[in-house]
Amino acid sequence: MARLIKTEKEVEGRYTEQWVVVEEDVLDQWPAGARRVVGRPATRVDGLQRARGEARYTADVQLPGMLHTAVLRSPHGRARVKRLDVGRAMQAPGVRGVLTPRELAARDAADWPGEPSVGPHASEVLTCEPGYAGAPVAAVGAETFGQALAALSLVRVDWEILEPLLDGDQAVRRGSLLGEPRRYERGDLDRGLAEADLVVEAKYRTQVVLHNALETHQSVCRWEGDTLEVYTSTQWIWGVRREVAEALGIPADRVRVVCEYMGGGFGAKNDAGDHTFIAAELARRTGRPVRCALTRRDENRATGNRNATIQRLVAGARSDGTLTALGGEFVNAVGYDGFSPFTSGPMQLLYGCPNVRTVDYGAQLNTPPNAAFRAPGFVEGTFGLECLLDELAARLDVDPLELRRRNHADHDASDERPFSSKRLMECYRRAETHWARRAEVRARSEAPWRRGVGLASQVWYGGGGPPSYAWVRVGPDGRAAVITAMQDIGTGSRTAMAQIAAEELGLPLDRVDVALGDSARGPYASISAGSSTIPSMGPAVRSAAADAARQIVEIAAQRYDREERVLSLRDGHVVSTDGGSWPLEEIAGLLGDGQILGKGARGPNPAGMRVLTFGVQVAEVAVDVETGEVRVERLAAIHDVGRVINPLGARSQVEGGIIQALGHTLSEQRLLDPLTGDVLTQTLDAYKLPTIADVPEIVVEFVDQPDTHLTNLGAKGLGEPPIVPTAAAIANAIRNATGADVRSLPVSREEMLRALRETRGRAEEPVGASTA
Amino acid sequence: MLGNGSVGLAGGTDLVPLLRDGIVRADTLVDLSRGVPRGVADGRIGAGATLAELEVDPQVPDALREACRLAASPQLRAMGTIGGNLRQATRCWYWRLKYPCYLHGGDRCHAREGEHREHAIFGNERCASAHPSDVAAALIALRSRARTTRRELAVEELYRLPTDDDRDVVALAADELIVELEVPTPRASVYLKAMDRQRWAFPLVGVAAARFEDGVSLALAGVAPIPWPLAGAADLEAATPLPGTAYKVEIARALVARALAAVGA
Repeated sequence: MARLIKTEKEVEGRYTEQWVVVEEDVLDQWPAGARRVVGRPATRVDGLQRARGEARYTADVQLPGMLHTAVLRSPHGRARVKRLDVGRAMQAPGVRGVLTPRELAARDAADWPGEPSVGPHASEVLTCEPGYAGAPVAAVGAETFGQALAALSLVRVDWEILEPLLDGDQAVRRGSLLGEPRRYERGDLDRGLAEADLVVEAKYRTQVVLHNALETHQSVCRWEGDTLEVYTSTQWIWGVRREVAEALGIPADRVRVVCEYMGGGFGAKNDAGDHTFIAAELARRTGRPVRCALTRRDENRATGNRNATIQRLVAGARSDGTLTALGGEFVNAVGYDGFSPFTSGPMQLLYGCPNVRTVDYGAQLNTPPNAAFRAPGFVEGTFGLECLLDELAARLDVDPLELRRRNHADHDASDERPFSSKRLMECYRRAETHWARRAEVRARSEAPWRRGVGLASQVWYGGGGPPSYAWVRVGPDGRAAVITAMQDIGTGSRTAMAQIAAEELGLPLDRVDVALGDSARGPYASISAGSSTIPSMGPAVRSAAADAARQIVEIAAQRYDREERVLSLRDGHVVSTDGGSWPLEEIAGLLGDGQILGKGARGPNPAGMRVLTFGVQVAEVAVDVETGEVRVERLAAIHDVGRVINPLGARSQVEGGIIQALGHTLSEQRLLDPLTGDVLTQTLDAYKLPTIADVPEIVVEFVDQPDTHLTNLGAKGLGEPPIVPTAAAIANAIRNATGADVRSLPVSREEMLRALRETRGRAEEPVGASTA
Repeated sequence: MLGNGSVGLAGGTDLVPLLRDGIVRADTLVDLSRGVPRGVADGRIGAGATLAELEVDPQVPDALREACRLAASPQLRAMGTIGGNLRQATRCWYWRLKYPCYLHGGDRCHAREGEHREHAIFGNERCASAHPSDVAAALIALRSRARTTRRELAVEELYRLPTDDDRDVVALAADELIVELEVPTPRASVYLKAMDRQRWAFPLVGVAAARFEDGVSLALAGVAPIPWPLAGAADLEAATPLPGTAYKVEIARALVARALAAVGA
């Protein structure tokens, strides 16, 4: 029965309290360990389609008569449009529509005696007062992308250029903040510092990095009668549906959102985005299907980023390594818009320290807005905290792994809630073999290369939640189809859902299809963000499959005159304890063209418990102390995410997360022109993602024990955990190798050489100078 | 045939993006693939030879082979020719994004006051761009000469710093084409490269060294608006780094010392 409850909903570390209707989840969890299908490695069910180019991404959507869009963006961080002349652009070859900011459209229309069907027309997402370089100002729709670009170059803008605010610290001083500072305290920080035998303080900085998903942000919009079809590269079909319906003032069921395959999002595609609204508006004005696809340059200027942070941290500990105090001031340089991530989260959650005080500021700047980026806040906050802990361990001469064990949090110290499950100690135990390589790795140092090993712990969310729904249909051919309007953002969700249904239905994996990616085909599904797809959608799929299985058993019991309790589903058959066995086709075939339909819903989260994911990573690095080159040679990752559905898919998530973290740690940084605030690293030659040659040996292990309190699966999400601790593990390995404290990301040549110089300077100081 | 709106197209790995961005304008592209030689024989390299061909050719001296191997990506090296590589434009982001900078004919260098971590430590008074060619530095250290459609000259003489009168860093006429390179065989040679990642990055600092009977030649990539010959390690102390490029001097010191050691100087 449906039950209305008020629940805390968490996405990417942001909690909101909301009403949800949940259905009781009556299924018992499967026992721990690999099952017939679940828990065994499965290659992707859509691998062939992808490899053959048959998978249709938004980038592949070509509709008859489709127009293409080019968007004029502000080259200035802060400016006002004094005059916008689109007259010549509207007359350019192939142009079918022009959009200008709402404030200007009426005025320009009066200037423009041309055909009203061409424009200019107002758009809410375009602005006359751009607050960041890259903000959309005007858009042109034309028969070809080339024509749209050519027309765009004919738009004349008179700018009033204003001075941009680009520095996070300066913004905090001036009070340029997005929202109130978030303050948190448990215990008494000052008392904790007074009780400490040693206090360490340090300032850490992390840079802005760009998502750079392979598929840029894009949408194709087409009106079919009074229904708008939106093909879009998104992490949340249902969110786009709601946003577009609200923006256009039409019923939600007249918006159909399709995303069958998706070329990556990493958090930047949680919202509909300006491009979708531009395409929808141009489609309405022109009556034509319209594609608005961002170029790589625009992608890197205007679709979000991981914001920079400045972290001023302090830690106090007794001589045995027991933490007495943790304090942090975290400045999130958010950008012109966006959100202030929970950068203090790791400091609050990772250790059982009794005295913790944090404050997070969200600085509003004239820089492109941030967007969620794979564990926003926690990647940055873990870098600061876990480096600080190693600096503390080095000064105390306590083993860094031992220091972390000593301060293990047995429950959530912020509100005394128990964890639904936590096997971080088991992760630490498994890390020992990798940690034990320390002496051997260091001994392999050979001038100018120094080698070392470092580790860092991981905490993040990943419990998912209701509401999420799925259907499972079983036809007379003995095949099953999972139907739900969720999206597979490239993580392998399709395969995992197929495995879960196959397990419950006793079917081989190749007899289960998954139909997803279309809001007009299947029930409501939750966002693919916050490591939530498996823990939100997986239990719904299992419950739908169980509903279908129950019906199959009921039918079989009547047809073959057995009691239901003696029947079960195995290997495509209904089998009886008395040895009877009937193919599924035979039973489903009784229905002719009819089908068995199972329905399932995600049950509630465990009340009064904190659901988190945990892990530890151990990095081995080599540093050329003369040229500042850092090579990561090996990374071992051990994560506790509850039950693992597909060990192969999970492994690829960890590898992907670590590779993305390598870029964040060593080579990626978005650079801005300090005068205009415009992005200088717009293309992939200037913005340096890691290449395959940069990827080290990656060792992946999972604890793989179900969270017995969480859903009918006991599975948590894994999208984000692997990117969280990598930067700190590498930085700590660098310290182990060289003695140098790198406190700023990326650890570029200049940062590495600076840290080495600082270390040499320290070594050369006369004894006692540091205490003077 | 070239000039007056006609531009020669070889591998196109730099020219095509420049055309697309409107930095180079061309009415006609002239396919050079049949007009320019591409083999290697007797110390001569056809300007149409691709980097991918040269990086595996045992006749090519080590420094040049290594410079080819460490350049770009396999895909780009399969397309890009050595002649085109010598004529590639700077990666300065201001120049590529069409800021009205000195190199584009403007009156100031945006990088000097702005973001310049990849920029020059030599010859950077008016323009702080860095020349991206690994191959050019290797050829200069190897004392190579270029034969063009008009003349023969040292590879080093293909380049000059931009001046108020002429902002072009390549000293070739619009209709002049590099046809062939003459590369002497040294006793030993090496190319060392510091970059932001293991592959597919332009040099932060590239150092080429070649030892001949009468001494060692050195040349640097990525440190000046043009490839930068160096008389010796001591010359590095004359560098004029910007605040954000001082680290390059440190890297150059280390790599020059290693390169000299590697060629047995």
